[in-house]
Amino acid sequence: MDNRFFEKTEKIGFVLARILIGAVFLYASYDKILHPQAFAEAVYNYQILPDAAVNAVALVLPWIELVAGLCLVTGMWLPGAAMLAALLMAAFTAALVFNQIRGLDVHCGCFSTQVTHGPANLWTVIRDICFLAVSVYLMVRTVVFPDRSVRKAQARSL
Amino acid sequence: MKSRKTIRIKAVAQTGAIIVIACLLAVCTNILRDSGLPLVGDWSADSRFADNSGQSLVIGLTEASRMHAENKAVFVDARPESQYNQGHIKGALCLPWQEADRRFMEVAGRLEGGKTIICYCDGENCELSHELALFLEDMGFEDVRVLVNGWTKWRRAGLPTQKEDRENG
Repeated sequence: MDNRFFEKTEKIGFVLARILIGAVFLYASYDKILHPQAFAEAVYNYQILPDAAVNAVALVLPWIELVAGLCLVTGMWLPGAAMLAALLMAAFTAALVFNQIRGLDVHCGCFSTQVTHGPANLWTVIRDICFLAVSVYLMVRTVVFPDRSVRKAQARSL
Repeated sequence: MKSRKTIRIKAVAQTGAIIVIACLLAVCTNILRDSGLPLVGDWSADSRFADNSGQSLVIGLTEASRMHAENKAVFVDARPESQYNQGHIKGALCLPWQEADRRFMEVAGRLEGGKTIICYCDGENCELSHELALFLEDMGFEDVRVLVNGWTKWRRAGLPTQKEDRENG
């Protein structure tokens, strides 16, 4: 009974988590796809990529977010989408933390390309770490520790 | 064990497929867009700090300091007032970009007179001076320039600065 309840709760949690991260990615891609020049400026201001790579990354990244977001929401290609989401969130969080440490006052460019949204701060980092944690859970659940393995592990622990 | 390995291979393949699809979509929409981005952009200072017609607004430190010495330019500090009070180029006016609309009339009289207007802020990527220069061009001033990373460059060169009422250099 306990085992079945755990499995059911975990399954619901998993579905909610993948829809949440999928929706976050879809929302994040929208403004960047509409305003590639403004997003390229946001990417440039991070001062991490070489100048020659800025435009290419600014053009492709929002579409990766869109396709990965669609996959997460619909449940298609889940292992790949979850792995990509975790990698992207790790990269975004690392970039934000890196610039916070070196004191660069950059605009996040996370959900909006408008500078009126204010520069990235500690809360932006905390928010990204939360999304990263959920993305890592999705990756572990779909790639490292998929369904059958969960049940086997539980059976062994009982 | 085998199924786990298969899932990992599948995950890597799917990740690659998502990236390829995203690249194709990005390239296709960029081609179809009226003002598509070049795949390799020009991020030089001359290109970034240009006016609406694409003309560079950048002025070099040598030229700016010469104009300062000959009193041929008005310097305008685009940083917040608190930073201006901590130190600024000698004789520079304070017009923080965020308050430009509200405070423009305070300095308008001193900007007129046909001198070159040189806007500056701090940092290679500081956009405040550029935004302020575009604002002043919109207000009808024709000879407006941007001294990129002006405050740091000016201080490092040991050129005359001012801190509140005291003068340095």
